[in-house]
Amino acid sequence: MFKELDPILHSQLRLSVMSLLISVKEAEFTFIKEKTNATAGNLSVQVQKLKDVGYIDVKKEFKDNYPLTTLNITAKGIECFEQYVKDLQQYLQVK
Amino acid sequence: MLTEKESLDLIATMIQKAKGNFHERGTSAIMWGAVVGFCGLFSFFKFEFEINTGWFDVWFLTLLAIIPQIYLAIKESRDIKVKTHQQEALNAVWIVYGITIFGVIAYGNIVPGATEQIFKSVGKELLEKNIASGEIKTYHPQVFSQSSLLLLVYAFPTLVTGLVKKFKPMLYGAVLCYALFIASLFTQVKYDMLFNGIAGIFNWLIPGLILRNRFKKGLPC
Repeated sequence: MFKELDPILHSQLRLSVMSLLISVKEAEFTFIKEKTNATAGNLSVQVQKLKDVGYIDVKKEFKDNYPLTTLNITAKGIECFEQYVKDLQQYLQVK
Repeated sequence: MLTEKESLDLIATMIQKAKGNFHERGTSAIMWGAVVGFCGLFSFFKFEFEINTGWFDVWFLTLLAIIPQIYLAIKESRDIKVKTHQQEALNAVWIVYGITIFGVIAYGNIVPGATEQIFKSVGKELLEKNIASGEIKTYHPQVFSQSSLLLLVYAFPTLVTGLVKKFKPMLYGAVLCYALFIASLFTQVKYDMLFNGIAGIFNWLIPGLILRNRFKKGLPC
C-alpha cells in the first residue's frame, strides 16, 4: 500500500524551496527567488505555507535600511522532506 | 501536478543549483599569502645579506594585516546570500587556526624568559660554553626552530580546506608545507624563514589568485 505523498511538498515551487534549503544552513529570500525563477508574490505565498506547517523558519530583519528575509529549514522540515523522498522512491521502485 | 520522477529530478536539480552557487573570492588567502610570503622571504634575505632593520621585525606586518582582513571579511559576508554548513565549519577551522598561530607566537616569545625566571627562582641559571675558547657565560634560553611549528600549523587548515572543498591547489600547498616542516627540522633559522615564505606563497597566495580568477569568471569553487 502506497503512502500518500505529502501534499505540502508535492508542489513544484514548495518542493524547489525545500530542496534548496536542505542543502544550506540558511538562504536569503532573493537567493531562493533567483534559483527558482518564481515571482516574489508567488514565492511569498508558498514560503508562508511552508512556515505555517513548521517546515521552515522565516527571519525578517533590516540590513542597510532594506528589509532582509532569511529562510532556513527546521528539524521537522528535514524529517518530512526525507520521508517524502522515501515515499517517492517507493513509488518509483514499484513502477 | 508533478509525477514522482519529476519530483525527484526537481530535487536533484535544486540541490545541484544550491551547490554550484558558492563563490570564494580568495581575498583572505591572497592577503595572508602575500604577507607571510613577503615576511618569510624578507627575513631570509635579511639573514643572508645581514641587513640591519634595527628594532623593526618584519613579522609585525602579519599583525597589521589582521585589520584589513577583518574589514574585508565583514564586507564580503554582507554580500553572501546563502550560508552553507560546510562554509560555517571551515570558518570555524580558520578561527581555530588564528588562535593557534597566536598561541604558538606567544609560546615562542614568553617561554624563554619564563624558563629563565623559573631557573632563577630556584637559584640556578643555564650556562653555555664556547668549545674553542673554553669561555663560559650565561645562556638565555630560546625555543629552537619555532618556525617549524608554524609550518605545521599552516598546513592544518589548508589541508582541511583542500580536502573538504576538493581544491587541489590547497591540497598541494599543504603537502608542500608538511615537506617543508620536515626539512625545517634539520635546517638553520635562515632557511626556516625561507620555508615560511614559500609556504605562504604556495599555501595561500597562489590558491587565492586561482580562486580570484575563478570568481571573476563566475565559476564555483
